[in-house]
Amino acid sequence: MPGMDNLTSHLYFAGIDIGSTMSKAAVVDAESRMLAYVVGPTGAEHRLYANKLMEDILRKAGLTLSDIAYIISTGYGRVNVPFADKQITELTCHAKGVAALFPEVKTAIDIGGQDAKVLKIKNGRLVDFLTNDKCAAGTGRFLEVTAETLGLELDEMGRISLQTDSPVKINSLCTIFAQQEIISRLSEGELLPDILAGVYIAIATRVVKLARQLKVEMPVVFTGGVAKNAGMVKAMEAVLGVPVLVPQEPLITGCLGAAILARDEAFKKVQRGEYEAHRDKKLTEARIDFGEKSR
Amino acid sequence: MSTYYLGIDIGSVGGKAVIIDDSGKIMTSSVVPSGTNYSTTATMLKEDVLSGAGLKPADIKASGSTGTGGRNVVADSYHGVIVCNARGVNLIFPAARTIVDIGGQGSQLIDIDENGQVINFNASEICATGSARLLQLVARILQLNIKDLGPLSLKSMHPSSFSTSCTVFLETEVITRIAQGDKPEDIVAGIHHSIADKVSALTRGVSIRPEVAVIGGGALDIGLVQSIEEKLGLKVLVPQNPRVIAALGAALIARDRSG
Repeated sequence: MPGMDNLTSHLYFAGIDIGSTMSKAAVVDAESRMLAYVVGPTGAEHRLYANKLMEDILRKAGLTLSDIAYIISTGYGRVNVPFADKQITELTCHAKGVAALFPEVKTAIDIGGQDAKVLKIKNGRLVDFLTNDKCAAGTGRFLEVTAETLGLELDEMGRISLQTDSPVKINSLCTIFAQQEIISRLSEGELLPDILAGVYIAIATRVVKLARQLKVEMPVVFTGGVAKNAGMVKAMEAVLGVPVLVPQEPLITGCLGAAILARDEAFKKVQRGEYEAHRDKKLTEARIDFGEKSR
Repeated sequence: MSTYYLGIDIGSVGGKAVIIDDSGKIMTSSVVPSGTNYSTTATMLKEDVLSGAGLKPADIKASGSTGTGGRNVVADSYHGVIVCNARGVNLIFPAARTIVDIGGQGSQLIDIDENGQVINFNASEICATGSARLLQLVARILQLNIKDLGPLSLKSMHPSSFSTSCTVFLETEVITRIAQGDKPEDIVAGIHHSIADKVSALTRGVSIRPEVAVIGGGALDIGLVQSIEEKLGLKVLVPQNPRVIAALGAALIARDRSG
């Protein structure tokens, strides 16, 4: 389209992913290249502050809000981003972000703080998915609860688990009962690395069971906060029986996808002649209405 | 001279024992934490019920064990907890055809015939939400005695609704509800609904036929029992001591085998 390059080449696009545990934002240019990203904890009241996250990403990218042509919010808290132009579900955004980093991807496994998702992707598009958001087993929460039980840091747990190749079998699927089992294994004299390696195997087993329902095809990309854990990546490969690809920053596939979708959306608007160059946007705080409880 | 039979059930949370006479009447019973050494627990239970009934070891003609730790117990016979529950319920409620057992680590639904034989059953996977464990956690958060949860929940006019069925996430949500000003009785009633939902999910595998008996530690909670009645759409029977039914069944089987 003639003239479009001039109109859009100086524009930037943002994606904001408010997850259950972590909030992430990314900015891309007209070529879908990522300029910057930020990651921070969502926290109990921090979900009010998507505007602060936006300020951070603008500062990091060296941009102002008026440089951003379009903003898409995604994730569990996507409704709490009042300045977003559009909300898109995390499944669509994840698929887009993963395919941007790994164009050949066929299976994406995302383990977040409170859920796990398996995405089947074909030619960069989401074709099928399954999620687990009913049970803490097989999510980052299982690891958090275990870390609390053992008084360890999350990344420390991963490092310790790598010291062994003989994981202890953790029989309890339920997070609550698994904690009891971990304590009694320790008191039975099992070694901490073996127990931790067993914890990762238990989570991987739970998620791979979900993935197998959709048939696992290579290449497999592993994302989400839990993919940052080296022990978890090792366990995932052991249980899947194939190598997994992990992005350099596994948390940002959702917000990257949202930013790229924001770019696509803005381009469509330009093509339709609906794009307003001068937007009167403000970074406002979300107002969360806890509302009346459902009766 | 009458003879006596001992039944011991070592569950995931509680150890239970009963002594019955020839007719199956429970002379005495005992419930203690299962602990970590099941055979020590069993010995303790045995001493406990013998002294409770004023009997000597020689007065016991036969014994049976059941439960997760039941194989660690010295007894004349061991039988699975489902079979024992079926026998125990059949003696107390001959008309019962469905058993709902809410135990320490999960729940199960058992379909039985008029002779107390198991026709079919469906057990949940080990999950805190379908078990009495969730009640313990909620009692702790609300700083209440677990015994008070049931009566308290009956006062609820507007049970809290919870968006999750996982105990781990429910813990967080309960705290959010407290912060939002939900009353303790509404929170407990809401939790009862969550457990009842989990239990009623088991009916996909087993049909419900009246009469329905509710047993296990969960049956001690009147509010939970009412939630289950609501969910199943019928009245249920609850034995006087719902925790010792499997131990009773084990004792009955030991009696029958000793001929």
